[in-house]
Amino acid sequence: MKTLQDYSEDIYKCSKCGICLAACPVYEETGNEATLSRGFFTLLHGALNNKIPMNKLAKYLDYCTTCKACFDFCPSGISAEEIILAARSYFYEQGDVSAIKKSIVKIFNSTLMLKGLGASAGMYRALQGPFWMEQLGGLSSQLNLISNIVNGQTQEYIKYKPLLRVCDKKEINAVYFPGCINNYFNASVKNAAVMVCEKNGIDLHIKSGFACCGIPARSIGDVQSFINLAKHNIDQINLEKIDYLITDCATCGIVWDTYPEYLEGEYREKALLLAQKSINIYKFLTQFDIFMPNNIENNKIVTYHDPCHLKRGQKVNKEPREFLSAIPGIEFEEMKDSDRCCGASGLYFLAKSNISQSISKRKAENILNTNASIITTSCPSCKIGLSQGLSLYNKNLPVYQPVELLANNYLHSEGS
Amino acid sequence: MTVPNSISIEEVISELKLVLDKKNILTEYEERFCYAYDATAIGDELYLPDVVVLPENTEQVAQIMKIANKYKVPVITRGAGTNLCGGCITLKNGIVIHTSKLNKILSIDKENLTCVVEAGAVVEKLQQEVEELGLFYPPDPSNLKVSTIGGSVALSSSGPRCFKYGGTKDYVLGLEVVTAKGEIINVGGNTVKNVTGYNLSQLFVGSEGTLGIVTKVTLKLVPLPESKQVMLVFFDSIDDAAMAVTDIISHKITPSTLDLMDQKTMDTVEQFHPTGLPTHYDAALVIEVDGIADTISVQAKQIEEICYKNNSKDVRIAKDKKEADEIWFARRSAFGAVARMKPNVITEDAVVPRDKIPQMVKAIRKIAEKYNLTVCTMGHAGDGNLHPNFSLDLRDHDEHERLEKAVEELFDAAIELGGTLSGEHGIGMSKARFMNKVASEEVLEYMRLIKNSFDPNNILNPGKILIK
Ligand SMILES: Cc1cc2nc3c(=O)[nH]c(=O)nc-3n(C[C@H](O)[C@H](O)[C@H](O)COP(=O)(O)OP(=O)(O)OC[C@H]3O[C@@H](n4cnc5c(N)ncnc54)[C@H](O)[C@@H]3O)c2cc1C
Ligand code: SF4
Ligand code: SF4
Repeated sequence: MKTLQDYSEDIYKCSKCGICLAACPVYEETGNEATLSRGFFTLLHGALNNKIPMNKLAKYLDYCTTCKACFDFCPSGISAEEIILAARSYFYEQGDVSAIKKSIVKIFNSTLMLKGLGASAGMYRALQGPFWMEQLGGLSSQLNLISNIVNGQTQEYIKYKPLLRVCDKKEINAVYFPGCINNYFNASVKNAAVMVCEKNGIDLHIKSGFACCGIPARSIGDVQSFINLAKHNIDQINLEKIDYLITDCATCGIVWDTYPEYLEGEYREKALLLAQKSINIYKFLTQFDIFMPNNIENNKIVTYHDPCHLKRGQKVNKEPREFLSAIPGIEFEEMKDSDRCCGASGLYFLAKSNISQSISKRKAENILNTNASIITTSCPSCKIGLSQGLSLYNKNLPVYQPVELLANNYLHSEGS
Repeated sequence: MTVPNSISIEEVISELKLVLDKKNILTEYEERFCYAYDATAIGDELYLPDVVVLPENTEQVAQIMKIANKYKVPVITRGAGTNLCGGCITLKNGIVIHTSKLNKILSIDKENLTCVVEAGAVVEKLQQEVEELGLFYPPDPSNLKVSTIGGSVALSSSGPRCFKYGGTKDYVLGLEVVTAKGEIINVGGNTVKNVTGYNLSQLFVGSEGTLGIVTKVTLKLVPLPESKQVMLVFFDSIDDAAMAVTDIISHKITPSTLDLMDQKTMDTVEQFHPTGLPTHYDAALVIEVDGIADTISVQAKQIEEICYKNNSKDVRIAKDKKEADEIWFARRSAFGAVARMKPNVITEDAVVPRDKIPQMVKAIRKIAEKYNLTVCTMGHAGDGNLHPNFSLDLRDHDEHERLEKAVEELFDAAIELGGTLSGEHGIGMSKARFMNKVASEEVLEYMRLIKNSFDPNNILNPGKILIK
């Protein structure tokens, strides 16, 4: 794993050309140079050369949603996201992370606690307390908005039901990594994924021992917990019996790709192998001739938002569109800037609620400029960002994953 | 100078607080540190502004200017901060006015082919909006994704399309400007023709924020060309490429772009962004023609013939949008590729009469060799404007010193060939000390008189263009 010091050459390489100003969703809202990559690198270079105390920088680096948009444009090829994560782990080691962030992350680090929360009040609802919000730096006056958004997340759209297979069982060893949201808060997407696969002759193996992918820990710089979770998840998989490791959460997917960087020895070897097997569900499904029932009468216009961690992180953007467009009864309409960050980014929507909401609002504007009545995406966190933006316009459009729409059609075609 | 001793910057800031929202006044050391730089490689020098402000309307800019004038504090305007001449460096500290929140496109007049935008509006955003209406704003600095209208007016920026369409200066009809005293004045107008007294709007164009702060700009638009055709042409010698350029123009063809890349540039692009660019040719031309579809296909054929007649080794005419994008990608990624070689890039901007391009390219190569520097030369052959990009590590003091000497020799070479210091990047702080190479003492004195009448207290971007 690279430390901040290891990145000092990359940091110095920033030519300050400013191209990232065009890409950064945060700068668009703040207009402040200290809140995007060019400023971050200027500051980090200053700190590495003892012109600024390093511990002053956490506050600025926290503005980054880690959307990777600047990396796409950066002529010098510097990844703000990677460097910011390295800086955050430095801050974590120095003890410069708020207790509140640590305690939220602790929940994700522990499967037991996640289960407890999921079963009782629900993680999201637990996050609603004004105390949490204030500690995170957000505004408690916006609590209502947030509780509306998060309550919407817990309604289970697709309930699992065994479906009739349309073909013979395929000889594929496909392991499915559901991620925390599917596992503990709302299983709708998982149900849909399993049903769509089963219908098409693919059995998904879900390991009951899977824990959180570790992203909450890594995003606050708690690398040790991240590594522990990585090893734990790797241990759940029988490496001899795996052709695909399927994810539907954009972030979980990218995390499997990054495990090797954080591991050594045998674990690293295993992680490298699994990174090769890891595949987003739409990339996986579009390889097959997926059954499309012709039972839908009313046409629905659907648009799609590209999660940062799917399009830029895993180069998957055509497949979800291809998948959607093939579903009978769905007319696909592209929105403007479909790959612009939605503003949610994990805990960012709580910690930097003002900026997060402005970013979400721009997203919603582009959505509302289409004729879509259903929004789709492939990430639970984006679902929050999209709903947040829409509710700021008092619009209550449903946000689903493409697989949920197909599963729903299957259910209808089987008459339930 | 910084702030006169008797006044504390706190007083200035407390007055600014009466005018601006708290979130639009940046005073933290870390924030100011981010504004101590623009895209100019200045090494480890640190010129820290005292405060940065983000005004949201012209009225606020005027109020800020009044406060600055009262306390005689320098004011440096910043758009995207992407200039390469140290234009935004706060040499004497003071207030940075960042136009990031003055970025609206106010109106587009389809009937009269004009538009009005705020100074912080981004060039590409404007281009996209007018193109949706079938209109065209041609000036295209290669970083148009971020470059602001205010910054490009203040530097009179231009780009590849300048050969046919002209640069920013040719599109400015009128300006709203906040003066050093904090008055709001309107110069020029919104008509294409305008002969009413001194042409003050053109005086502000290229003035690098030293005469006033541009807050709104009225720009001329033209109809969007129906179609375009780009091609990439390779030569074994830069002389042949230059001859081809002259020959194309003498055939009464006016391509929208006549850009040049030298061997080292192509080699570097291919190294970092491989697109199958051959790396053994001495030079390549990127030529684009635009206009009515039938005409441009005839012109493209003509250009192909002319190039072969001038010993071109290969002419690649883009067959579709994908191939066209690839050619432009190779051209546009040239700067980025150079930036990946070593940590720093110094982009120079010499301009010579068009027929002197081969001599200038050779002079650049010779100077680079003499000082043992890596240089990739690209530029706008149609305008005689060359950008030698030196790739180096400024932490290597010896290399830095060699660069300084090379740059000075480069300017001498350009001037000797009948050219000048800058075609489009401006003078700023980087080239101020060379001004006397191109302007006589009388001319400089008139420039000082102009500066003095607009800015008697020398608070607008002091230390740029003219040094006392
Ligand atoms: C990678 C790269 C490529 C480039 N390519 C080109 C190119 O192809 N062609 C070209 O011409 N240039 C080019 N440049 C130089 C520069 O980016 C352009 O000139 C650009 O238009 C400057 O715009 P800006 O908004 O960044 O201005 P800034 O850098 O913010 O400002 C430039 C100057 O204008 C002044 N200024 C800014 N706004 C105002 C205002 N509202 N009122 C008064 N003064 C103001 C500033 O004080 C400063 O002196 C390039 C630079 C880079 C880094
Ligand atoms: S685009 Fe890359 S090199 Fe340019 S300023 Fe941003 S981070 Fe630096
Ligand atoms: S990763 Fe996204 S939010 Fe972070 S600096 Fe880059 S563009 Fe801005």
